[in-house]
Amino acid sequence: MVKHIGNILEEVREKGFAKPSAGLKVPDGYFESFCERMEAALPARPELESPEAVAEAQRPHTLWQKVRPYVYMAAMFAGVWCMLQIFTGLSNSGGLQPMQDNAVMANALSNDEFMRDYIFDDVNSWDLLDEMMEDGSLDSDSAWDAFFSEDTPAGQTETVSAEYILPQ
Amino acid sequence: MVSIKPEENEDLTAQLRDPVTVRSAFSKVVRLYSEPLYWQIRRMVGSHDDANDILQNTFLKAWGSLENFRGEAKLSTWLYKIAVNESLSFLEREKRRDAVSLDSDETPSYVRALYADDSVDGAALQQKLMRAIASLPEKQRIVFNMKYFDDMKYEQMSEILGTSVGALKASFHLATKKIEQYIGNCD
Repeated sequence: MVKHIGNILEEVREKGFAKPSAGLKVPDGYFESFCERMEAALPARPELESPEAVAEAQRPHTLWQKVRPYVYMAAMFAGVWCMLQIFTGLSNSGGLQPMQDNAVMANALSNDEFMRDYIFDDVNSWDLLDEMMEDGSLDSDSAWDAFFSEDTPAGQTETVSAEYILPQ
Repeated sequence: MVSIKPEENEDLTAQLRDPVTVRSAFSKVVRLYSEPLYWQIRRMVGSHDDANDILQNTFLKAWGSLENFRGEAKLSTWLYKIAVNESLSFLEREKRRDAVSLDSDETPSYVRALYADDSVDGAALQQKLMRAIASLPEKQRIVFNMKYFDDMKYEQMSEILGTSVGALKASFHLATKKIEQYIGNCD
């Protein structure tokens, strides 16, 4: 027959077996000797037992140890400043400069010969005509006279030199 | 289970924080808690030698991480937590060793240790109960031992084991049912 667990556990408790040590043995004097052994085995913990001595040992003594954090911090700021300079220089050199700041370009653009040889030589005359007629600097009759001379076949697109078009 | 008064607990905690008294205070802690911790560990691992090693490791770990004890939890809870974790790690290692050992039988190492150890004593009923406890799964065995032998409160067990009070109650109930079944089958 199965006994009820409450009864069994109660019976064990009544007989004094419900103690943590019930049924288990340890060598005589084990706990006393354990405490002594344990106290002897505890390693030194200077950071717990003498924190002032540890702090003193860690305190900077030489001039270099004292100034080192400040030197490192200054070096870090200098590094950041240098990087900012480099990045700023790079972004400026990649951008467009105003024309008047570039003397070579300004000089070249004011030179008619240069403009005729290198800039206007391949300009499509129809585009120029359209543009000039739109802004009113050329009336339609003179444009036709200028571009459809006798030796130019009708309807043919032609490359014209700048001296016909540029205001004198 | 050792229960010291809250003011004594505070005094001891304060002494543990004072560099002048820390070592002597820790010696007091060792004297105060070595016995209850030993029985807790012994009931988990079975053999005296293993329990002795684990108890030593427990105190060495506590001494090594004393600055982590902030005094928010009770000193006993903190020590039990370390002891239980150490015991569980030991059992885990044993389990792994059993799993790779070719000649191991199916009996858990805890049961083998308990009955191979000549420092086990007691009447037939007690032996039967110990066998029944040994047959429990690890967590249930810990919960049963803490509640039945140490008479520990569920709230403190919850802090030590990191499990909810409800789960602990259910675990204890299951453990007593299994013990009932085990002893019933033996009769």
